[in-house]
Amino acid sequence: MSGVISISLVLNVASSGLILLGLYIIFTQKNLIKIVIGLGLADTGVNVLLVSTGYIDGNTAPIFSNSALNISNMVDPVPQALVLTSIVIGFGVSALALALIIRLFEKTGTLDTSKIRGLKW
Amino acid sequence: MVNPILLIIIPLGTAFLISTVAGSLKNSTKYLAFLALLANVWISISLLPQVLKHPVNVIIAGIKPPLGINLLVGPMGAIFSIIISVAGILVLLYSFKYIEGEGQSKYYTLFLLLITGSQGMILTGDIFNLFVFFEILAISSYILVGYAGDRNGFEAAVKYLILGSVGSVFILVAVALIYQETGTLNMADLAGKFASVASGKKMMIMLFFITGMGVEAAIFPLNSWLPDAHSSAPSSISAVLSGFVIEVALIVIIKFVYSIFAMTEILQYLSLVGVITLLVGEFAAFNQGNIKRVLAYSSIGQIGLILFAMTLNSEAGLSAGMMQVVNHTASKSILFLVAGYMIKMTGSYQFTDYKGIAKKMPVSSFLFVLGVLSLIGVPPFLGFFSKLNIIIAALAVGNTFNTVMVFLILLGTIIESVYFLKILQIFYIGDPIKGGVKEAPFTAVFPIAIFAVVILLGFLVLPEINIYAGSAAAELFTKIQITQVF
Repeated sequence: MSGVISISLVLNVASSGLILLGLYIIFTQKNLIKIVIGLGLADTGVNVLLVSTGYIDGNTAPIFSNSALNISNMVDPVPQALVLTSIVIGFGVSALALALIIRLFEKTGTLDTSKIRGLKW
Repeated sequence: MVNPILLIIIPLGTAFLISTVAGSLKNSTKYLAFLALLANVWISISLLPQVLKHPVNVIIAGIKPPLGINLLVGPMGAIFSIIISVAGILVLLYSFKYIEGEGQSKYYTLFLLLITGSQGMILTGDIFNLFVFFEILAISSYILVGYAGDRNGFEAAVKYLILGSVGSVFILVAVALIYQETGTLNMADLAGKFASVASGKKMMIMLFFITGMGVEAAIFPLNSWLPDAHSSAPSSISAVLSGFVIEVALIVIIKFVYSIFAMTEILQYLSLVGVITLLVGEFAAFNQGNIKRVLAYSSIGQIGLILFAMTLNSEAGLSAGMMQVVNHTASKSILFLVAGYMIKMTGSYQFTDYKGIAKKMPVSSFLFVLGVLSLIGVPPFLGFFSKLNIIIAALAVGNTFNTVMVFLILLGTIIESVYFLKILQIFYIGDPIKGGVKEAPFTAVFPIAIFAVVILLGFLVLPEINIYAGSAAAELFTKIQITQVF
C-alpha cells in the first residue's frame, strides 16, 4: 500500500480525533446519555490508537499455520490481543453507566446534570 | 514458598464462587468472603520475609518475560498487600452487621473484586495488566458507591464513573504510546528501554499516565468526584476507598515516576501539586457540616501530604510517606467506621446533631478520638512519627522551596486540628441526644479497636516499621533492574 497518504497517518489522525471529540462531548454536554456516547467515542479512539501501534504497512495477519508466510511479513499481534480486552472493558463500563443512569433517572426524573443537584457537580 | 499469585486468585475465585452459591447459601456467603481474606492476610504476611531478601518474580503460564506476563513483588508490594488484606478483612468484619437486607452476597462479591483489583495493581509486573486490574478496581468501586440505592449514591456513582472512565482512557493512551515507543509492556524491561525514548514523547507519556492515574488517586484538580463518592458510599466502603484505594493509585504513580520513567525533574512539580492538594482538602473540610464530607475532604488533604512526602526525591521522604500511608489507612478507617454507626443510630449526617453522643456511644466516641489524634499527629500516636519524619525529610533536602512547603503543611495541620476538635467538642459537650441511640455492636467495635491498636501501639515497633518502610522506599527509589528479575 503506497498511496499519497500513509495508513498510519490516517489511523493516528482518526484516533486522536475520536479521543478529542469524545472528551469534548464529556466535558461540554449536560445530558448524561450524551456523556456516555462521548465515553464510547473516546474508548473507540483509544482502541484505534492501540491497533495502529502494531500496524506495519504492507504486512499481513499473523497466522502461523500458513507456512508460506514469513514472520517478517506479519503485523504485531500483541496490540490486537490488547484491544480485544479493552473493547470488552469499554462495553462493560458503558453498560454499567447506562444501568446507573436508569436508576438515577428513576430517582430524579431528569438526565440533565445541571438539574441533578443533590450533590455539587 | 507461597505463590503471591494466590493473593489475586483467592479473592477473585471466591467472588465468582459467592455469586454462584448465593442462591442456596443466602446471607451466609459473607463467611466465605471472610475465609478468603483470612487466607490473603496469611499469605501476604508470610511473603514479607522473603521479599526483604530478594524480590519475588512469578512467571505466569510458563512464558518467560518480557514476552509473558509476570508478577513482581518487592518490599513495597508486600507491605501494600498486607495493608490491603488487613484493612480489607477488618472492614469486612464490620460489614457483617452494618450491611443489612437481602442480596448481601452482591456486596461481598464486589468487595472481593475490589480487593482483587487493588492487590493486582500493586503486584503486577505488566503495564497492560495494570490497566486491567485498575478497571476491576474501578468498576467494583463504582457499583459499591451506589450500593445503598439512594439518590445521592447513584448520583455520586455516575459522577465517579464518568471521571474514572476519562482517567482510564488516559491510562490506556499512555500504555499504547509506551508500546509504540518501546515495544514492550513488561515493567522491568521497560525500565531499561524507556531512557532511549525522545524526551518530548517521554513527557507526553508521563503526563497522560499521571493524569489518568491521578483521577483515581484524587490529586488536585482531578479530585472533584471524591467528596461525593466517599461521602455517599456505605461507610464500610468509604473506609476502604479512603483507606487504601486512593493510596494504591498514588503508589503506582510514584513507582512509575521513580523506577520506570526515571524522570526526577518533574518531582518538584508533583510535590507542589501535593501541597496544593493538601491545602485545598483541609480548607474545604473546614466548612462542611456533613461528617462524611469532612472525612472525605480530609482524605484529600492526607493524600496531598503523602504525595508531597513521596516526591521529595529522597529515600527518607519515601519511607516517611509509606509510614503515613499506614497511619492514614488505620486512622481514617476508624473515623469512617465510627461515623457509619453514628449516622445509622441518629439518622443524621450533620455532626451538629451528635451533641453529647459520647454518653450514649462511649466506646465508639473514644475510638474516634484516638483516630483524630493520630490523624492530626499528636504524640505518641503513629501519626506523630510519620508527620515528624516527613518534615525531617523535607528539611533535609534543604532548599527554600521545601521550607516554605513545610510551613504550608503545618498550616494545613492546624486547620485540620481546628475542624476535628470542633467535632470532638460536639461529641463530648452537651446533653445526650434523645432517641434510641446505643453503642455499636461488637462486630463493628472489634475491628475498629484493632485499627486503634495499630496507631496507638505503633511506636513500640517503630524500628521495625522504619526497616520495612525503608526497604520499600529503597525499592521505589532504585530503578528496576532487568538482570535482577530474569
